[in-house]
Amino acid sequence: MYWEAEIEQLPVGKLDKLQLDRLRQTLGRAVRSPFYRRQFAAAGVVAERLTHIEQIRSLPFTTKEDLRNHFPYGFLTVPKDGPVRLHCSSGTTGNPTVVFHDRHDLDSWANLVARSLFCAGIRPTDVFQNICGYGLFTGGLGFQYGAERLGALVIPAAAGNSRRQIKLMQDFGTTAVHAIPSYLFRLHGAFVELGLDPRRDTLLRHFVIGAEPHTEGQRRRIEELFGVRAFNSYGLSEMNGPGVAFECIEQRGLHIWEDCFVAEVIDPVTLDPLPEGEVGELVLTTLDRRAMPLLRYRTRDLTRILPGPCACGRSHRRIDRISGRSDDMLILKGCNIFPLQIEKVLMRFPEVGSNYLIVLQTRKDGDQMEIRVEVQKEWFTGNMEELEVLSRRIGHEVRDEILITPVIRLVEPGSLPQSEGKAVRVQDLRTFQEDL
Amino acid sequence: MIAHQVSVFLENKPGRLEKITAVLKHQQINIRAMTLSTSTAGWGILNLLVDRPEAAQRVLSEKGHPAALREIVVVRMSDAPGALHDMLLLLAKAGLNIQNAYGTVLGDRRTAILVIDVEDTDSARQLLSEAGIETLGAEQIYYV
Repeated sequence: MYWEAEIEQLPVGKLDKLQLDRLRQTLGRAVRSPFYRRQFAAAGVVAERLTHIEQIRSLPFTTKEDLRNHFPYGFLTVPKDGPVRLHCSSGTTGNPTVVFHDRHDLDSWANLVARSLFCAGIRPTDVFQNICGYGLFTGGLGFQYGAERLGALVIPAAAGNSRRQIKLMQDFGTTAVHAIPSYLFRLHGAFVELGLDPRRDTLLRHFVIGAEPHTEGQRRRIEELFGVRAFNSYGLSEMNGPGVAFECIEQRGLHIWEDCFVAEVIDPVTLDPLPEGEVGELVLTTLDRRAMPLLRYRTRDLTRILPGPCACGRSHRRIDRISGRSDDMLILKGCNIFPLQIEKVLMRFPEVGSNYLIVLQTRKDGDQMEIRVEVQKEWFTGNMEELEVLSRRIGHEVRDEILITPVIRLVEPGSLPQSEGKAVRVQDLRTFQEDL
Repeated sequence: MIAHQVSVFLENKPGRLEKITAVLKHQQINIRAMTLSTSTAGWGILNLLVDRPEAAQRVLSEKGHPAALREIVVVRMSDAPGALHDMLLLLAKAGLNIQNAYGTVLGDRRTAILVIDVEDTDSARQLLSEAGIETLGAEQIYYV
């Protein structure tokens, strides 16, 4: 029933106590990093003064900007040769965010992912096909090592090539899959094209879906199409990646592993803590990370703590599915994208000026990003080929930045919102494909 | 005087073409010929042969349209089989890439002309003249 019965059912009082002990240890370790040494000194943080986990609220926040501004080593608590792996965000403009892991961190992370998968009903007898990007994206190696730790047979299928995915499923009798939800609709289309029905022609029974927002209806549709049960996974690279919070077989919210993370929900404007049940920004603190602990990290993800105990018997509290962002980050095909990244690329092209509109749409073959830019009168020569080349160059440079190929649409000047004031830069017209 | 066409950027949307023609009508600019090249990405370029290209470009620009004057090569079409082919072959052999080409009739209603939109107009004109093909100047096409 449980991967670690004692920890997962730890009574709330004991869990609080464990969190406090680990928080104090974490503070003692964090102060060795240049960033926290300075921050603690400025804010007068003293680990020994903390006597209850709720006092974590007295600590300052850590933000993505802090990570960027102290790139790459400002958060390291160990010498540079201490960590054994890093994961970092994509992007060529500005500093990425990087997270370093030492052996202990990787071990702890793999265990959390194994615990998460077990909690969702995946067992060592399962054949687990990991359909997502490997490399810097944490979903690849994160699930790879976690599912191996669990004892499943893991197929590192990586992303794309639906026919090969289906072949792997059939050749090796895949029973469990991790993928982003929007891809699964495409994958189902590939089954249909081949005249196959995944419910009849595969052994699939468990899906793990995450890394992009999706609705309950979308989950139910995936379950119907494939004849499986699909479980929601939550994580972010700053907090390792997958394995932060996960659904159990009850499918009513995601247990956040409170022996390894302190979860708070705050009002993103006033920064005040919100009571259980109210939607706000999730703030997370690592409790078992050594090379690079993070304290009160503002995830910008909006959710709420679900009140009451879960029927599964785990004492770790649950968060609701993520309902949005408190900043302007977009999530498309599992990639995190800030409009500013696109804006910086467009600024290199005086031919299209500074106004732009990002439109996200659902097409037959998946979600798509269209970027509308205005042709500038001064640069227009009447040469068709020139404009087509320009379009392609913009598309390539945006792709290099955000890892997704956009459709570039040239429009007439003055037809987009002006750059002054709070212009609408993003139109999200994606429809959740519940009625395929 | 070297001949020009006016090229205008526009989106492939209902009513866009009419916006352009309305501006020209208002200025009493006469459209002699027109072609529309469309891309697959929802936009196109409208090429206009008009009697007053500079004025057309200026006024369209003032109205916010990306409009450019493009040098063109204009030849009289001879009324003989294969004449057009021979001429195009000449340009192709010289590696001159034709962006666009269209035919029309001059104001005398008897002279058929071919308008060629090619990147290197000087070379094209020279090449044609060496082959004994006459190219027409602005005064010959706009005011006839």
